[in-house]
Amino acid sequence: MTALGEFALWIALPISFWGMVMGFVGGKQGRGDLILSGERSVYLVFALLAIASLAITNAFLTDQFQYQYVAGYSNRNLDTYFKLSGLWAGQRGSLVFWAVLLAFFASVTVFQNRNKNREFMPYVVGVLQGILAFFLVVLLFAGVNPFEQLGFMPADGQGLNPQLQNYWMTIHPPVLYLGFTAYAIPFAFAMAALMNGRTDSRWIVVTRRWTLVSWFFLTNGIIFGMRWAYEELGWGGYWFWDPVENASLLPWLTATAFLHSIMIQENRGMLKVWNMSLVLLTFLLTIFATFLTRSGLIESVHSFAQNTSIAFIFLAFMGSIFVASVVLIVYRLPGLRSENQIHSFLSREAAFLFNNLVLLGAAFAVLWGTIFPLVSEAFTGQAISVGPPFFNRVNIPIGLILLALTGIGPVIAWRRATRRNLKRNFAIPLAMGAVVVGIFLALGARNGYALTTFGLSAFVLTVIATEFWKGTKARARIEGEGFGPALVHLVGRNRRRWGGYIVHVGTVLIFTAFAGRAFEVEVRKVMNPGETVTVASPFGHTYTLAYEGISSSVEENFDRWVALLSVQRNDQAVGSLTTERRFYRVNRQMVTEVGIRSTALEDLYVILADVEDFEGMVGNDPDAQRIVVQVMVNPLVGWIWYGGVILTIGSLIALWPSAEARRRSAALEPAMAGGS
Amino acid sequence: MKNGRFFVGLVGVALVVTYLVWTGISDTMVYYLTPTELMAKVEEDPSFRSVGVKVSGRVVPGTYEQGEGELVHLFQVQDIEHPEVTFSVIYQDVLPDTFTDETEVVLEGRFGEDDVFQAKTLLTKCGSRYEATPEDLAEKEIAE
Amino acid sequence: MVIVWAILLVGISVFLILQPIISGQEAPLWSAGEEPSEAQFKKRVSLLQLRDAEYEFAMGKLGEEDYQILRKEISGEALKAIRAEEAEVAGGAPGAYAESNAEIEEEIAQVRLQLSGGVFCSECGHPNPGGSRFCAECGTPLQVPQPSGQS
Repeated sequence: MTALGEFALWIALPISFWGMVMGFVGGKQGRGDLILSGERSVYLVFALLAIASLAITNAFLTDQFQYQYVAGYSNRNLDTYFKLSGLWAGQRGSLVFWAVLLAFFASVTVFQNRNKNREFMPYVVGVLQGILAFFLVVLLFAGVNPFEQLGFMPADGQGLNPQLQNYWMTIHPPVLYLGFTAYAIPFAFAMAALMNGRTDSRWIVVTRRWTLVSWFFLTNGIIFGMRWAYEELGWGGYWFWDPVENASLLPWLTATAFLHSIMIQENRGMLKVWNMSLVLLTFLLTIFATFLTRSGLIESVHSFAQNTSIAFIFLAFMGSIFVASVVLIVYRLPGLRSENQIHSFLSREAAFLFNNLVLLGAAFAVLWGTIFPLVSEAFTGQAISVGPPFFNRVNIPIGLILLALTGIGPVIAWRRATRRNLKRNFAIPLAMGAVVVGIFLALGARNGYALTTFGLSAFVLTVIATEFWKGTKARARIEGEGFGPALVHLVGRNRRRWGGYIVHVGTVLIFTAFAGRAFEVEVRKVMNPGETVTVASPFGHTYTLAYEGISSSVEENFDRWVALLSVQRNDQAVGSLTTERRFYRVNRQMVTEVGIRSTALEDLYVILADVEDFEGMVGNDPDAQRIVVQVMVNPLVGWIWYGGVILTIGSLIALWPSAEARRRSAALEPAMAGGS
Repeated sequence: MKNGRFFVGLVGVALVVTYLVWTGISDTMVYYLTPTELMAKVEEDPSFRSVGVKVSGRVVPGTYEQGEGELVHLFQVQDIEHPEVTFSVIYQDVLPDTFTDETEVVLEGRFGEDDVFQAKTLLTKCGSRYEATPEDLAEKEIAE
Repeated sequence: MVIVWAILLVGISVFLILQPIISGQEAPLWSAGEEPSEAQFKKRVSLLQLRDAEYEFAMGKLGEEDYQILRKEISGEALKAIRAEEAEVAGGAPGAYAESNAEIEEEIAQVRLQLSGGVFCSECGHPNPGGSRFCAECGTPLQVPQPSGQS
């Protein structure tokens, strides 16, 4: 059965090439029969890749260790849901996973547009099939075939790295990949627009939803990764500026920029070349992210793969796409001329543009910091290391500027903002910001960056709250509605704007959470049963943890030692925490499971750093219960996750088709969400 | 192009970012050396002992011991390519879960006057790889 | 067994992708429904900008002077787009797209009416000029709105 999966890949390869040719030729020559053949090939490639994916998953579920990939990431006793995620556990399977997701989105696109956007579709098919063909070539010819066999049948597999044995394994990679692959659709439409000459805003309107969907998955994928790191890696942090993390951040930065700059093109007919370049850059960065994670090129604690010949193939692919796209853009330059210009530095257009430049600046900084070690070694022979100090130093100021812009953008006037306009709209929010800074200063906070963040967050939240308030009141008056219905209708008439505001609220919460790190507290203590450790939270109260005892047990895949600590907050008992160490026998690896007690304001985070006498503990020797714990108070960490939820709600509101659009969709027309 | 203002903004931001990145890298980058290179550098320039560096190597099996005080760890690290080059390390903090008597490690810290490397951070290379090689699996088969 | 499935897969695939070429079955080259022309698209953009300007004025975000200037500018653009649209579609039946444009125009008119102090009657919908206490059409007493905080 698994062999059928490999067969499916081999069949998919010529079909994807066929589809690419049919798409381009059919489009150029206006041959509907060729185009239909090409569109069918899209569905076929998806079906075949689905078969391959199911075959791989099945091989995991049925312990087919004769396959090198399965043996490398699974063992008999592995929990079933880790076997189910075997498809994306390693390099080879991930490439298939990427391809099947891309093929899925391609099929959806072709299906949705059976009777719409016909001047684009042949070229869209051509581009998407071309990308799929590339992935299939890599899978089958670059030594990364997931169906490669060992030639013998091992008694058991190597098992999955214990740090990956966490439920997030089933969530984070798929969501992130959904974000990466969905971005190919806007890219394909952009290329199609260049090829057929429809270089106005049509392609942007058509792909608006895809752009938002991709961004949505990317953002959530990154947040899930942060949560995973926080829970699993046991250092109390959630972001380490690791090359793999950076690789996923790069397309996020440019995708966010793109999300904003398309509004300028729609509204004012400007930045057409900019948008074309931005969509190309983001797509290349999604490919770069795969290539970086899977080629082991950059040294990373995350590093997955050893196969580096794949690096050259990816570089060649990215290079060709870049050259072809630039040629197309230059060719269509006349059609990409701006219809208007920026009248004033003080205008919404300028604010959006500034937002773009800053986001791209951050992307450049992150990219450079990530590849600089490689570049330096190549040129000077000397290896150097660039770490969190660099990234924090550059990105914190940039983040603050972005935070400020999220408050300025919604209220500053289009075209040109007068002094009157600025005073009218910014006086109160700025005052609120100053008040908040004052409060925190009075409370004793002295960290400059954190204070600025709190002040700017208050500024932005005031702006957004005022928008909602004033907008609802105006609508209530005009339509003669009550406040509630007015709010609902207000949002419904312009989902993109109001959904966007809610997304900004979520982002503000996340930035505020980052500022909380400036006030982290950490205490380390050696403890015997009965002893206590005290930690003071920056919010004023004190936690006292008492070490009750430790127990050990033997589980199916690991041995574990669980320490129990009871928690008191200001001398009031509030529950208990456990933290444990596990020894995974198959992998011969020790992993710590932290204990977290979350409240709205902070997390109490406990790590079982060391157990003095493991053997004595197994024997439950009362003298062998001494442990070392690390206790941390992480202020505002929870706001990252709450912010993520709010941001999700906002995105869904923005994505939801309005009643008007659904009506027009029913009449076989392209869906177009609300206005600016 | 009509959008003069656009270009002014672009160039302005580009300059600021370039400045930030340039100074950022020069101020925060650290040399990433092998033990052999570290020894050579220190010999060449004794003041190098006060500079923070990053060193990669492997823990010499059997040299690990706990020091006096809380969470103090002492061990020797050898150069992977030239195992005869070793130096002592002292590290006071929680050990990473994957630390064993023979892991590859990446240390960040200073090489002190007493020829002991004071490590501020310690990272282990996750059991060298995530995926098994055919050789690993073949061994497994024979052992069973 | 696997060979059988594999051959089946190849067969189906080849059939599906070659069939259109052999039989001449075509995918549509042109879209079925009404898609906006460039002029219609520009008109819609202008209308939405006008609507937003009206709302921002009603909300008090935009001052009176700024609002008048902006409105004149956008109206000028809208007019250009409307002329271009009329040149394109000489007497064609309005499709769903044009209908939704008309809806937006109505919305703008409604906002304008509110701003000028006038009000739609809640009973019969008749637009009454500012200052009216009773509906001119059906005589129902009118809810008089409070002016927004614009001064």
